[in-house]
Amino acid sequence: MASTTQTNAAEGPVAGLTSRWASAAADTPAIWKILSLALIFGAWEIAGRTNFNYAFPGFLETMAALWEMIADGSMGAAYLRTAEPLVLGLVISLAIGVSSGVAMGLRRDVEWLTLPIFITMQAAPMAALIPLVTFVYGIGLASKVLAVVMLSLPVIAINSYKAVRNVPSSLVDMSRSFMGSRRQQVFGIILPAASPMMFAGIRLGVAEGFSGAVLAELLITPTGIGDLITYNRSIAKFAHMYAAIFSIVALAVITVSLLHRLEVTLFRPEKRGV
Amino acid sequence: MTFERRDFMRAAAGAITATVTLAGAPALAQDDPLQVALGDIASVESLNLLIAMERAGERGVPMEMTFFNSEDVAVQAVLSGEADIGVGAPYAFIQNSDAPIRMFYRMSTLLFFPVVNSEVYSGWEDLDGQEVTVHSRGSGTEALMRLMEEVHGIEYSNISYVPGSEVRAGAMLQGTINASIVDAANFRLLKEEGGDKFQRLPLEGVNATDEALYANTDVLEARAEDMQVFVEELLRTWQEIEENPEIVGELREQYGLLQDLPEDVAAEAVPYYTEAVENGVYPTDGGEPADVGDDIAFLAAAGQVTGDPAEIDPMDYWSFDLLEAAKASN
Repeated sequence: MASTTQTNAAEGPVAGLTSRWASAAADTPAIWKILSLALIFGAWEIAGRTNFNYAFPGFLETMAALWEMIADGSMGAAYLRTAEPLVLGLVISLAIGVSSGVAMGLRRDVEWLTLPIFITMQAAPMAALIPLVTFVYGIGLASKVLAVVMLSLPVIAINSYKAVRNVPSSLVDMSRSFMGSRRQQVFGIILPAASPMMFAGIRLGVAEGFSGAVLAELLITPTGIGDLITYNRSIAKFAHMYAAIFSIVALAVITVSLLHRLEVTLFRPEKRGV
Repeated sequence: MTFERRDFMRAAAGAITATVTLAGAPALAQDDPLQVALGDIASVESLNLLIAMERAGERGVPMEMTFFNSEDVAVQAVLSGEADIGVGAPYAFIQNSDAPIRMFYRMSTLLFFPVVNSEVYSGWEDLDGQEVTVHSRGSGTEALMRLMEEVHGIEYSNISYVPGSEVRAGAMLQGTINASIVDAANFRLLKEEGGDKFQRLPLEGVNATDEALYANTDVLEARAEDMQVFVEELLRTWQEIEENPEIVGELREQYGLLQDLPEDVAAEAVPYYTEAVENGVYPTDGGEPADVGDDIAFLAAAGQVTGDPAEIDPMDYWSFDLLEAAKASN
């Protein structure tokens, strides 16, 4: 996300604006980011101070609560609990999602058999299905891992499938005309060509995984970050509740931005170093 | 152009006035039904409240009940004026947010049964250094267990959270957990299934509000007459149930309350109220200032509120005017 802003800010002025200010600003995109954050947080602080809602703390109060929770270790402990289903779920989703996506892309029969499952999973409102999961898998770790998988797996699988399917046929033809074996075709041509889009799918899948982990902790049993949210809500410590929500949003944004940066570095040399 | 602009301004001003009037209306209109916000679904435990609401309706104060996902949402509805009366015990909310809501009627006191597997433990002292299982963090069950920790000078090794009395009772029957706290219905279940295997541990000196009724101070003033009628009916209903719990069954039929309850669940109503009355769950006085101190002491043990029970001002949490007026007129 951060990189998107960066590229846009860098390309925009070249196309249209010519003023010195704009090009100076384009060279220092960090200023714009800080300004936009300051604007949002400023609006938040003002909204908090107007007391329009008794349960809405201002930005500074929320940050103080965030710091308090980091300092007393409760935030760290909560993230250790949340990381368990999140990481397990994402590892499972990546393994199954990428392999089944590639298999679907390469073979029509696999596609007919499996694609409908992923499309159903992607279309179904997961929050409504989570109670169902608890009936089968109880309220332990298994249910939470499954909630993460249910949200992230279809995105990863479908994107991998589309990536493989959309590899330019001219590349495959070229491989064939050089008498490449099927193995060489898959590992030398198709997978490298499909990687950028597969990686974009992984990034989306990880973002969904965060939603799954939080949903599971709010809807199944409150543990980790979900516990911080529900507990602080139940005892009306709203600044702490907002701080917990803020932290998970920030963490998800940072993770997804880092993945995006990794994607650019690995697969898109044309966008690097802009 | 000028005319158009003037017309536009006039229309806009009219729209704003209309919006403001509409937004302000629900809390103040006298003839609207009093909306009661319940942070749960209605069950046999809400029958006494529903009966009192019907009776207030008979005396010209129409009342309606709305169901919310949780007590926190119900508080928000009361604060925003979408509901007039809430059900719960929002001490922590009042203390932490300074919101202008006050409790005005104590409906029930907390009744839970700390229970242990008698093959493993025999008293509170045995729980020192052991794990106990409660409903959730910040819940009444946790507060009770924490309070007992203090009273008996023991320390649990860990408190684990398993939401739902029936789930904890199931786990005790399976032998997964050996010390927990369950509600009356599930304590009965444990006794039926396990007999002497499950032992109830004594809970002395706990006087805590389970559910109270609260309202915005504006509503308490603006609709004082209607509210007083409601409180009079609450007092009357609670008193009648105290004298004869079986009346709940009759009144449920008479008013056609909770018609969609399954037969077997509805049949639980009279035994439930009989047992609750025996255990003093439903106080007949509607609450008094001394109870506020007890509540604060209890909630402070669970870490939900802070402050010395002796120093807090009950009027920061409660308004007893309605109750006194209702008692005087009854």
